Amino acid sequence: MSPRLSRVVRINLAEKAGHIQERPELFNAYLGGAGVASKLLEEECPSRVDPFSPEAPIIFAVGPFTGLLPSMVKTVAMFKSPLTGNLGESHCGGHFATALRFAGFGAIVVKGAADTSSLVTIEDSGVRVEAASSLWGLSPLQVEKSIRSLNQQGMESVASIGIAGENGVYYSGLITDRYHHFGRLGLGAIMGSKKLKAIRVHGTGEVLLERPTEFKDFYEEIHRRVVQTEEMRKYHDLGTSINVMMLNEMGALPAKNFTQSRFDKAEGISGERFLEALLERKISCPGCPVGCIHLGGLRTGFSPEHELGRREAFEELELVPYNYEPIFALGSNLGIGDASSVLRLIGQCERLGMDAIMTGSVLAWLTEAVEKDAIPRQEIGDLKPRWGDAHTYSQIVENIALMKNQFYKRLALGTSGAAEKYGGRDFAVSIAKNSPAGYATGYGFVVGTLVGARHSHLSNMGYSIDQKAVKSNLSLELIAEKIADEEDWLYTYYSLVGCYFARGVYDEETIIKALDLIGLPKTGKELRDLGNEIFQRLYRFKIREGFNLAKEEIPKRMTEIETPYGRLDPRRLREMVQHYIRFRERQGLHLKREDEALAELLSTTAET
Amino acid sequence: MRFHIEVEHPERCIGCYSCVYACSRHLYSTVDATRIAVFVRVNKSLENPFNIIACRFCARPECALACPQGALEALPEGGVSLTPSKCEGCKNFDCIQACKLGALSLDERTRTPIICDRCGDCAKFCPHDVFRYEEMKT
Repeated sequence: MSPRLSRVVRINLAEKAGHIQERPELFNAYLGGAGVASKLLEEECPSRVDPFSPEAPIIFAVGPFTGLLPSMVKTVAMFKSPLTGNLGESHCGGHFATALRFAGFGAIVVKGAADTSSLVTIEDSGVRVEAASSLWGLSPLQVEKSIRSLNQQGMESVASIGIAGENGVYYSGLITDRYHHFGRLGLGAIMGSKKLKAIRVHGTGEVLLERPTEFKDFYEEIHRRVVQTEEMRKYHDLGTSINVMMLNEMGALPAKNFTQSRFDKAEGISGERFLEALLERKISCPGCPVGCIHLGGLRTGFSPEHELGRREAFEELELVPYNYEPIFALGSNLGIGDASSVLRLIGQCERLGMDAIMTGSVLAWLTEAVEKDAIPRQEIGDLKPRWGDAHTYSQIVENIALMKNQFYKRLALGTSGAAEKYGGRDFAVSIAKNSPAGYATGYGFVVGTLVGARHSHLSNMGYSIDQKAVKSNLSLELIAEKIADEEDWLYTYYSLVGCYFARGVYDEETIIKALDLIGLPKTGKELRDLGNEIFQRLYRFKIREGFNLAKEEIPKRMTEIETPYGRLDPRRLREMVQHYIRFRERQGLHLKREDEALAELLSTTAET
Repeated sequence: MRFHIEVEHPERCIGCYSCVYACSRHLYSTVDATRIAVFVRVNKSLENPFNIIACRFCARPECALACPQGALEALPEGGVSLTPSKCEGCKNFDCIQACKLGALSLDERTRTPIICDRCGDCAKFCPHDVFRYEEMKT
């Protein structure tokens, strides 16, 4: 097949049917990934639709270099998030993207809802929707082992939700190929509401290189840069868990619900500690020679009657993926300083299919709320969370996934949802209803997460800009502008769809050359404009769905924690956001300002 | 240049498929995980170690012995060569069945087996030294 993508798989779960649509113009204009997904979301998502409505779509898209170039391995998903009630966007590695491409497709649109647990299978020959009651209630691992073929040809991927997704936990994810996640904004719950338990993709096709000699030289150069140069060394070695000690030394490692930016037990959960005590294997996404997925060994004794007095000989070994964010979220932020306890909690989130960062955020908020007596005792029951008590946290996580009672159902709404019910908003660490990642680096991180279209630290690298800004004394205005420019450029990159970790390898010149090699020539300006166009489209979607940047509050806790800048000044944070709004408005994106927001608020009050 | 190649450390494999893609680029100028002579096998779950399969260059290759047409011929340095014109018409693919390692697969387009030509690209692109390889003298 041609290196240029054109086909979209359209699935209607209610009709148990799918068909293929040719959309070459979509991929020519928007490349793939975030670009194509944002356009399909605009086409498919009814205004102000309930995220759990059958009409709410799920979009997946891959890019022109998926499978073709090193580290171009991700799939972008877009949907309406139950957590924020707004744009849901999540990126995932694993075999999914490549399998979809080898099956001959660039994107998937899922609509409708099934009446019973369903499995979608996408192959070269087309798409099937089948009832799959026997899969409901299984963990993503059990689903993978059950439906992956033996001795398959080509590329195969299995993506499945866990029990948390089935039950509608607002921060449940979609797990693909055992170790990769569409995390953060609740795609798992959306799949669960559609009774879509799993998607299997199997592709056996090929992509024909049109200028093979040039392409091979080009590939070799990129491969060399990914494997051998400093640009990506960190991801080969300790992985992102290297950040634990780095951030701790900098005074930017959030601990105990962001009350501290240094953790006294950081060494116990450091990347070095994980490497020494737990690392068993590393794995990669197909097409990426890095191997950034670090797997730690979780040893569990078999049932006592089978131990025969030699416990160590009869332990089962479960491999659990770890990286910096879950270590922060389920480690330092909960006061847990022991690597294997953290790994156990991560493993539990994996089995249940829950986002580790938000799970940690909810537990941290809950611990403080219980300390401050903010929640009625009878609601909490017997499980009283305390900093560092991994065992109790684990039981609470289980109860949230099962939505055991009213209390746990509220915790399943996420930190800001729970705080709305119980109070304790002052210490609810939630930015635009998403839980921030583990960086108390300062202004860039807070504002970057707030203004980012998907409110992720990967939206615009605010945390990374901070680290440079502190050293070089950048003005806050300039930081705000850099955040805007980074997000635009990343949307270009996320249309290809590259892994965030390889962004340094794929600079503008490299991308221009790569596109030219597959017959999709673009200039640097066209690429930058494309990123900006995608950002604007997503923001128009957000505004349509009710997002108002000027009205979003910055959590108080973010101005109480020490950062490398000192404590952040709330007034200066607001000024940065205002500057950002003016900067975006000069680009033609009409964001509501505070005066307009007030007028709107008054008019709605008058109507009621 | 031709290489002697051996899968020496399959346990080191991280599943990056760099070998697979290198093979398809070399053999067919495609990017492909199907028409290839080196395989990364996933054993039911990504949780399990990968198995890497490639031609062992047998001194007495069963694939060649199984070929009724004489299309596959054993080479003095081990391994086989394919004469495509002799291969046509066979429907049984006894050669593929004969290799108990599963190193031979069918090119659906040409209906002939895919033979490793010892280019060494799989080994060169492997970031974890799964393969041992050395240039052949002759």
